[in-house]
Amino acid sequence: MTAARPLAWTKDWRFRALALVFALQVFCSARLGPWIHPTPFSEEKLDKKVPSSLRAVGYLTGFRLLVGQLFWIRVIQYYGDSDNASNRYADLYGYCSLASDLNPNFIPIYPFGASALAFHLKRPLEAERLLQKGIEANPNETRLKLLYAAIAYQNTGQYKKVIPFLEAQVVRGDAPEMLLNILANTYQEAGRPQDAINLWKRILANTDDQATRIEAAQKLQQLYATLKKSHPAP
Amino acid sequence: MNRILQVAFFTYRELIRSNILIVLIVSILAIGSLSFLLSLLSYGDSLKIFTDLGLAGAELAGWMVLLLGLAVTYNTEMDQKAIFLQLAKPVTRGEYLMGRVLGFFAVNLLVVLGNALFLAVMVLAVGGSLPPYFAVSVIFMALEMLVLTFLGLTYQMIATTMVRVVLYTFFTVLLGRMIGEIQWLIEKQSAPFLKGVLTVVYYCLPNLQVFDLKDRIYDPTLVVGFTQWQEVLLYSFSYSAVVFLIGWISLERREFR
Repeated sequence: MTAARPLAWTKDWRFRALALVFALQVFCSARLGPWIHPTPFSEEKLDKKVPSSLRAVGYLTGFRLLVGQLFWIRVIQYYGDSDNASNRYADLYGYCSLASDLNPNFIPIYPFGASALAFHLKRPLEAERLLQKGIEANPNETRLKLLYAAIAYQNTGQYKKVIPFLEAQVVRGDAPEMLLNILANTYQEAGRPQDAINLWKRILANTDDQATRIEAAQKLQQLYATLKKSHPAP
Repeated sequence: MNRILQVAFFTYRELIRSNILIVLIVSILAIGSLSFLLSLLSYGDSLKIFTDLGLAGAELAGWMVLLLGLAVTYNTEMDQKAIFLQLAKPVTRGEYLMGRVLGFFAVNLLVVLGNALFLAVMVLAVGGSLPPYFAVSVIFMALEMLVLTFLGLTYQMIATTMVRVVLYTFFTVLLGRMIGEIQWLIEKQSAPFLKGVLTVVYYCLPNLQVFDLKDRIYDPTLVVGFTQWQEVLLYSFSYSAVVFLIGWISLERREFR
């Protein structure tokens, strides 16, 4: 009787049910493979200064979007801090890249980062790389493709092709103010001072930012001077 | 069935009376205002940011209610021996466990759905629109809470102290979130022994990444059709059944003195 006792549990229907349900669970779990980790780890190595621990926190806790949104504010602060201008915002690409890893479908990261990198910091290759990531993650986003093309043309000095793309962005109505500045500067570089003047006037009338106002006023002064030189009064 | 519902109702009332719903009010206020503030500070689609943060907050609130509920009820049920009263009645231990799970889940559902509803109302009130998979992601979150409730209460039946219950549940939740990384390691790792160990771990842990639709809510490649629903529901119920049976067997073998 004592020898039979250790095996008594095998007669319990719950153990058999447990084995059966566990097998079903394993079967279901195996079928769920494609659901898991749909985005592979980025092969690209980040700069050591970029807090990659955040990426780990985002991935491991399952709050990628939450961490991504919090980090995005940090990216904006980084670009807004004039102290970082001393090294030409050297980590901007790394920061934007991490923000896009954490939140790949948050579109504003790409136009913001790429515009700043290409038009302000003159690092078009990094801008193109960022936009490529954005287009891969969001193949239906036409804006990113347009901007990618615009940067590529800008890089090769083909202003006639750049301007329509930038104008299309501005006409949409939700373009960042920076893009308006870029278009105005491109008009100037392409030898269209009157268009540049009109746009700077529009920026001056609509902006709330004091620095942009000063910049717009200076540009207008400069453009009027240029126009005066090229068309002297009779 | 009636006895299960009686225990469920008793558990639900017990949790409500222990002021656990304060978490709901605090989470709605704190997460709502924090999301609003951060969406203003950030650059981009502020409603999208508000929705992302609100969904993450709803899930966090669900986890918090579960952990707090487990801690509070362990104290009353096991330490203060309130379980004796319920088991003295004609209630089997399996019915008792199932009833407790349902009671816990009802409170958890209230918190998650309350947060999600608040979020949806806020977004719609300011003229925004909800992402197409918003409702689906909330349902998936509720399914995750169901699995975690089964798991937490099973731990309550196995563990001998309240701290252990909370720690076991907390770390299982974290490990369940890392299931994708474990899968990645299985694919990378070449040593057969380690591969075997990781595979066992992979199948024993709850696959919480499956329920995490809130992080993929804007993914253009995401498809949630009949097959996906079928797979996720089947997985949720089969995993819950495994955990429930373990909890039931543990409770049957547990001696209360």
